[in-house]
Amino acid sequence: MTLSNVAVAEWHRIHRLEGPDTECNRLQDLGFTPGEPVAVVRATPLGDPLVVVVRGTQLALRKREASWIVVE
Amino acid sequence: MTTPVEAAESEEADPKTRTVCLVGMPNSGKTTLMNALTGGHFHTANYPGVTVSLLQGRSRKEWGPPMTLVDLPGVHSAVNPSPEEELSCEVIESRHSSVRADRFVLVVDATQLERHLKFAGFVARQGKPIVVALTMMDLLPRVGAQVDAAGLSRKLGVPVVAVDARHGEGVPELVSALQDAAGPPAGSSALATLGEQPAEAYRQVRTLLGDSDTLVQPEGLAVLVERDSLTARVDRIAMHRYLGFPIFLAVLIGLFASIFWFATPFMDAVDAAFAVSGDFVTGVFPDSMVAAFVAEGLIGGVGAVAVFLPQIIILFFLMTLLEDSGYLARGATLVDRPLSALGLHGRSFVPMLSGFACAIPAVFASRSIPTLRERLLTIWIIPLMSCSARLPVYALLLAALMSDVFRQGLALAAIYIASLLIGSMSAGVIGRFAFPDRAPSLLAMELPVYRIPRWKVILRMTWSRSSSYLRKAGMPIVVVAIVLWLLSSFGLGSAQPRFADTTAAPLVVPAEMDYSLAAQLGQATEPVLTPMGVDWRVGVGLISAFAAREVFVSAMAIVFHVEGEDEAVQSEGLLETMRTATFAGTDEPIFTPASIIGLIVFFFFSLQCISTVAVVRKETNSWRFAAVQLLFYTGLGYGAAVATVQGLRWFGVA
Repeated sequence: MTLSNVAVAEWHRIHRLEGPDTECNRLQDLGFTPGEPVAVVRATPLGDPLVVVVRGTQLALRKREASWIVVE
Repeated sequence: MTTPVEAAESEEADPKTRTVCLVGMPNSGKTTLMNALTGGHFHTANYPGVTVSLLQGRSRKEWGPPMTLVDLPGVHSAVNPSPEEELSCEVIESRHSSVRADRFVLVVDATQLERHLKFAGFVARQGKPIVVALTMMDLLPRVGAQVDAAGLSRKLGVPVVAVDARHGEGVPELVSALQDAAGPPAGSSALATLGEQPAEAYRQVRTLLGDSDTLVQPEGLAVLVERDSLTARVDRIAMHRYLGFPIFLAVLIGLFASIFWFATPFMDAVDAAFAVSGDFVTGVFPDSMVAAFVAEGLIGGVGAVAVFLPQIIILFFLMTLLEDSGYLARGATLVDRPLSALGLHGRSFVPMLSGFACAIPAVFASRSIPTLRERLLTIWIIPLMSCSARLPVYALLLAALMSDVFRQGLALAAIYIASLLIGSMSAGVIGRFAFPDRAPSLLAMELPVYRIPRWKVILRMTWSRSSSYLRKAGMPIVVVAIVLWLLSSFGLGSAQPRFADTTAAPLVVPAEMDYSLAAQLGQATEPVLTPMGVDWRVGVGLISAFAAREVFVSAMAIVFHVEGEDEAVQSEGLLETMRTATFAGTDEPIFTPASIIGLIVFFFFSLQCISTVAVVRKETNSWRFAAVQLLFYTGLGYGAAVATVQGLRWFGVA
């Protein structure tokens, strides 16, 4: 399961990042590290991007980017 | 003023020349702190080779020997940085050629300690003295947390000062901590020994902070909503499925309305002031060529820049306001889907919107776009956005085309909408062919908490951005205006009728417009203009418009010998003249529906603005990009205009 297809307002733990290296490195640097709880707060009106919360910060992630974040 | 390079060399000799850089993540309150440290006296720094605008100022005297302070752009992550972030990283890692820091103030948001301290580790590793400034302490109750600055300082091994920059609390303490920080550098502190791998560093930060591994209880969203109820409440409406876009649209329309209607009286006043001072100079010295140069060339040139200043100031003010309140990031999120489908970025909407006022601030605004490909593509389409210098041109041409004011308005609206649509489409097409490599692209944009706008900071930022516009855009416009004045005021001696009978004509003499160098240039381009259905006099107008498009109107008034005190009288007279103007030696009218529509099409596409070319060159650091853009759009404008005129004629429209 990836962050792009979890239900809204549900906490998940990040399992690993699976995507292009540079982008995934930056995502990790921004706080998306394995073991960390994440949740999708809301979808935007067009369904993409998603508003995601990690380490107490809200970030807008494109669905494509969220799909690189594999959650448990 | 000492340059930072000198400051670095004489660092211990004279504390007055010390350069302290403010670094931190975006939205950490750096600029508010900058405002408090300098007592509001900061300006845009001018470093060689730095296009990103940096704020520079000196610490207030009552807190000891003043230090030079530089506010560096916020950094989300040093991994794969945007151009703005890259500059900060270069300075932090002492890789920058002109901006050098002797010590750092690390601005840390107390409500987001983990992420901010992880970044702090990167700065501390560089071994320069640092002081941590804890901001947003007043927001801690909103997230139900407490932070003890002294305890944190012991854990991290670097000085930590809690500041409330809005009320100035803690700021003197911060300055004295900075002055004492000369001793041990941060290199051996716990902060500096954080790992370089994100996962490891975050774990270490958490251990340092003494938290358990599960910071957030998995009780669902209730925990999060509690963390900041205001932001959650506003976002529920601002990003609502049905209300989100109407609200965004309302904000955009409000922005537009302010830029155009609110600025109009100020623009008229500026225009009138320059006209009056020009007339005053020519009135005092009626027959002096120098006075004519000062009045028409110099004052006219500066006036051409200054007339846009009210719009630019309002644009910068409202943009800074939206940014500071936190809404700008929401807007960018809402439109990311359609824009990214075109190869642009959610943040591209700010430059595109600014482009409707002026392309120059729009090109500046594209700096915040993190990835190169999306940034270049945004800069590529900015000239298509219908900037306000085109407005007087369209107003004149539409009035010449149709007399019904209501229909003129509709046509103008259609031009604006078409410019947005064609701009977006061309991004889609050009992006696919000219920028084919799928370079890294990442949105991952922080949505900061909503805050009450900080007026002092916003006004300061507006001023510093506006004056930076004046400096960067002003020079090319003034220079081009002066060159054009010289071209239209002097002519080859041999071309003057008064020397027709003599053989000893001077090479260059003051000349009437009809016999000037500009007229000769216009006449030389006539073969190119004929397919567009216009003559050399319109060509002079088109060439003059390269100073700034709206110069077309006044240049046309000059070549068609229209006298007028102010713009309104002038354009009335010009309209009258345009209705009766014919090609030389014939009774064939120049301004037919076909040729007027052709001119509108030309102005729609053509990149007639030397300042934009200069700014694009600087921002992309590429002459090639700027030159290709200039030739492409001007060529496209010409081709489209010729096709329109010939097409309309073929369909029987004269």
